[in-house]
Amino acid sequence: MTSDTSIAVPAGSSARRRRSSAGPWRTALVTLRRDRVAMISLGIFLLVVLACLLAPVYEHSVAHTDAFTSNISGTTIVHGKPSPVLAPSSTGLGLGVTPIGPTWDLHHYFLGADGQGRDVMARLLFGGRNSLLIGGVSALIACGVATVLGVAAGYFGGVLDAVLSRLFDVVWAFPVYLLAISLSVVLLTSGLTVGPVHIEGDSLWLPILIIAVIYVPYVARPLRGQVLSLRGREFIQAGVGNGASDLRILRKDVLPNVMPTVLVFLPLMTALNMLTESALSFLSIGVQPPNASWGTIINDGLGLLYTRPMVTVAPGLMIAVTAVTLNLLGDGVRSALDPKARLRGAA
Amino acid sequence: MAMFIGRRAAAAVFVLFTISVLVFLIFFATPGVDPAARIAGRNADPATLMQVRHEFGLDRPIPIRYGLMMEHLFVQRDLTSFVNRGALVIPQILQAVPVTLSLVAGAAVIWMVLGLLMGTAAAARRGTALDPLMMLLGVVGVSIPVYWLGEVVNLLTQSRWHSGLFSWVPPLGYVGLSQSPGQWALHLLFPWLTLAALYAGIYARIVRGEILEALNEDYVRTARAKGLTERRILIRHALRCSLIPVVSLFGLDFGALVGGSALLTEVVFGLPGVGKLTFDSLQNLDLPVIMGCVMYAAFFVVLANAVVDVLYAALDPRVRRA
Amino acid sequence: MQPRRTSLALAGTALVVLAAAACSGGSTPKASGGSSPGASGSSGSSGGTSAPATYQTQHRGGTLHLVAKSAGGTLDPMVNYTLQYWQLYQATYDGLLAFTKRAGQASFTVVPDLAQSMPKVTDGGRTYTFTLRKGIRFSNGAPLTTDDVVASFKRIFTVSSPTAGTFYNGIVGAGACLKKPATCDLSQGVVGDRNAGTVTIHLTNPDPELPYKLAVPHASILPKSAPPKDAGTTPIPTTGPYKFASYDPNRALKLVRNPYFKQWSSDAQPEGYPDEIDETFGLTVESEVTAVENGQADWVFDPPPTDRLNEIGTKYAAQAHVNPLTAVWYLAMNTNLAPFDNLKARQAVNWAVDRNSVVRQYGGQNLAAPVCTMLPPGFPGHVDTCDYTKGGGSTWTAPDVAKARQLVQQSGTAGAKIGVVVTDDEVNKSIGEYVQSMLNSIGYRATLKPISGNIQFTYIQNTKNKVQISLTSWYQDYPAASDFLDVLLSCASFHPGSDSSINISGFCDRSVNAQMEQALRTERTSMSQANALWGKVDQAVMKQAPVAPLITPKLIDFTSKRVGNYQFSKQFYMLVSQLWVK
Repeated sequence: MTSDTSIAVPAGSSARRRRSSAGPWRTALVTLRRDRVAMISLGIFLLVVLACLLAPVYEHSVAHTDAFTSNISGTTIVHGKPSPVLAPSSTGLGLGVTPIGPTWDLHHYFLGADGQGRDVMARLLFGGRNSLLIGGVSALIACGVATVLGVAAGYFGGVLDAVLSRLFDVVWAFPVYLLAISLSVVLLTSGLTVGPVHIEGDSLWLPILIIAVIYVPYVARPLRGQVLSLRGREFIQAGVGNGASDLRILRKDVLPNVMPTVLVFLPLMTALNMLTESALSFLSIGVQPPNASWGTIINDGLGLLYTRPMVTVAPGLMIAVTAVTLNLLGDGVRSALDPKARLRGAA
Repeated sequence: MAMFIGRRAAAAVFVLFTISVLVFLIFFATPGVDPAARIAGRNADPATLMQVRHEFGLDRPIPIRYGLMMEHLFVQRDLTSFVNRGALVIPQILQAVPVTLSLVAGAAVIWMVLGLLMGTAAAARRGTALDPLMMLLGVVGVSIPVYWLGEVVNLLTQSRWHSGLFSWVPPLGYVGLSQSPGQWALHLLFPWLTLAALYAGIYARIVRGEILEALNEDYVRTARAKGLTERRILIRHALRCSLIPVVSLFGLDFGALVGGSALLTEVVFGLPGVGKLTFDSLQNLDLPVIMGCVMYAAFFVVLANAVVDVLYAALDPRVRRA
Repeated sequence: MQPRRTSLALAGTALVVLAAAACSGGSTPKASGGSSPGASGSSGSSGGTSAPATYQTQHRGGTLHLVAKSAGGTLDPMVNYTLQYWQLYQATYDGLLAFTKRAGQASFTVVPDLAQSMPKVTDGGRTYTFTLRKGIRFSNGAPLTTDDVVASFKRIFTVSSPTAGTFYNGIVGAGACLKKPATCDLSQGVVGDRNAGTVTIHLTNPDPELPYKLAVPHASILPKSAPPKDAGTTPIPTTGPYKFASYDPNRALKLVRNPYFKQWSSDAQPEGYPDEIDETFGLTVESEVTAVENGQADWVFDPPPTDRLNEIGTKYAAQAHVNPLTAVWYLAMNTNLAPFDNLKARQAVNWAVDRNSVVRQYGGQNLAAPVCTMLPPGFPGHVDTCDYTKGGGSTWTAPDVAKARQLVQQSGTAGAKIGVVVTDDEVNKSIGEYVQSMLNSIGYRATLKPISGNIQFTYIQNTKNKVQISLTSWYQDYPAASDFLDVLLSCASFHPGSDSSINISGFCDRSVNAQMEQALRTERTSMSQANALWGKVDQAVMKQAPVAPLITPKLIDFTSKRVGNYQFSKQFYMLVSQLWVK
């Protein structure tokens, strides 16, 4: 796993006392809006999301294809002439079958076909929905769980902190892919049953939950540290002295101070989780066929890398573009929320 | 301080223990994973199956099997693979370490040099087009799936342009440093570059940020007031100070990578390092090797973390009480 | 036998036989049925003759470089059950008997190897007497004696050889040895006479297939000093032209010449050409193929990835050798679980599956052929019949999806949820995706469950895992119909709740089973009559449709430009030791 540092801990957002008034948030929003790079990134990201949302429209009304059904013996139209989607080799020893390549014709296999004779363009759009969904939802879950656990560990300390910290240590030290692979093998075959809820082996919830669990310590550890140092600050000590309840201090003083960090993490985490999802699918333990994600399509395409590189290259580029926009957006959010960073920019 | 180190060591041991138990339990919760039938061979007679089960101790209670495995791994150090029977686990890992070290060390040199150069250049030329360009390059590096980059590099160097531009590229695989230093470097060149591409960007961004921050500090202002050249200030003062956080981050990354985190790069380039060993053992569900690899990897991560913690504690006494 | 060409496996190996002699220059009769005669890609270097070749000294020497994705497990010939090493054992270990090491049809014939001649069979087929050749030495210099033979047979049981209970359980005393290997006593079953140089094997019942079983590596004769447990990565001394010099499952396996070898029979154990043979592990298959193309390696063990086939078939056609295998890829349907406990549902699958689509997924019609029965075309007992082809006929032509849909409706199983369990390698997953898509098109709700190639085979066997339908394959151990039908579909092969229950469908039909037993009994008197019976069994099985046979595959050997004298044994594939690198 090579991405453990791809989230640099946001330069500790200075622990000033933030009131829950809209003031600082509005300022941040204004700053963010003025950040051209971040806005362009957001624009491109939203375009990608929109395109992916329109996948069914493309599938039915433009390409007239079925992105999830094998079309091994079918034909399509290239330059006005019918030709097979999967063409058996007819030269030499006649070995191998090659799917049709990019036709650059939106109505007929724009980016060509994969090994099952399915339209790569349509799958790319559908795959994007899953990749974005998995990346986004797992980032939300990871950040949410991490906030609760990190804040609790940092604020309450004592036994709770010791237990949670060891727990983070274990997940942190457990090699990411190993944990993911081990969990996937078990879960893919038998599904997951928690009380009355049963998640099937091919459900998207599995990769979402697996990835979320893996990355909880990545967010929770820095948050814990941040809360730990907040705890010592005078304004919190003052709150404790005044007899304010823990809940109130957490809500009024701690949360507003850690929220910027969490918000900075969110887009970065989404990008990282998308990359992780694609890596898991590359190891064929992520999204299960015939369902698609960008990682799954890359994995499908590796078997065609030497003849039809587009099947691999296109989803790889989509991942890269989306991750770049998310990372740039994350930068924007960071500099908008973190006055220290803004100072840097001015320097 | 000694007590803090002691506590930290105890916590590290606890973490390693928990991980080993987890691996063991996950393994045996996996359906179809019982190695007896795979060891016995296809269409084995029920009697043969029972025999194998007994011989490998697979018919004993799980806690005893866990104890036995740990004993073989750490005490007798003669744990053997389920799949390649007779192959000892520890020598396999020891043999894979130099490969991983070669890969990671070479890549680290490249990414540190690139990161420092790009970060410093971006900081020095801030306000010009170079700064955002460098930073964009950095983001792109972080955003590309490393295995995908590796596959594309392979496609170009081994096949598409192998007869032309890249005819000097050797086949994938590894040649030992002691065997032939030239071939060693040549075989590792593209893996180094691929892995470094991922990290160079992150480091460049951090270096840039730290330098910009340092340039605001009092001592830099003092230096400026003394009339030192901007270049001298940048390199002698700002860059130097910004190295401290960079180096501590580097320590963590290096630890994790040596521990097997370079798995995808090793797999894509066919390098028989620890990551590849881990991957193969997972593919084969070869529990003894998986266990050995996980323990090895977790050890490095825990060690790196503990070292960083202890160092911070040495610097900041407040942490010790936490 | 279950192949694992693609992944390292304990459960993998394949011996091969086929009547369609693609390699033998047309001198042997072509098989009826699926194997297309034009498929032989052997060209240039391909040695296709069945006549014993004289040793050509000018080609002696050099080092042959083989590459494989991963190692094949233990090096112990009595334990290893992978094609990967069985192929190498051909040039290293010997049994009392051996399959002829020649190309083409001749490779089916069992000839005396360490024995002087074929055994004398007495006592109504219960006693086999062998006379050992004189003057043979192991690679450690020790002479071969009857003690080694006796010890080797005992060792099959002490190391719990995979086939101990299935191939060699007929030897007197074997039953007790299987249960308690530690106290194994075969003194009544295998008797050596050191002075006369003879070894006598006593069986509890006549076994006409014994000569085949004595010619596979599990019955190799090893020095009596061989350890009484799986030797793992430590090489055991050999009798053949090569010995194993070193073995590291993560790096390489190295064979060098056995200094004590003197050729005693060119049919049983011919002298080898290269001075050294090494097999390197760890590369991806893509890079292995590239390495052979660039002349950096001489041969790829793993099947080439599908996207390289076209390139191999055109640009490197002279280096590619295509040979049919006696194997079948099939869908096993669990006859004890809904919906496939319903005959009509099973028949519907047989009607609906487009075998041509599967052929395409496998690499095209020159790499596979559709099949309709379990016995592959050209195999003893095979008869061209096809119960499930559109418009009828004796061979498969097209699927009948309408009929399949109708059967699903009639069976009342429409809408059932089905999990399709396949291995997660490229070809299997791809076929699995097609099958999933096909099941949906006839009215089911199917999902694909790709799992690691290493556990899929045991996973689908265990009834506890409730697998409804799975994609699997079988490659013969030796050329006998029983190796497909009796092994895969008899009641005796079904062990509910066990990982080792090779009858994956859980098919146990009383009348079919009785027919099989009759065929086995007939083998003692007449092989040809027995084979006719096996043909009927095959058809009776297909009426019940516990399986849907899909294709019979072919094998590509991709060799480097410098390699010469390629020969393909139908039993053990390419004869490694006969390749020329000079």
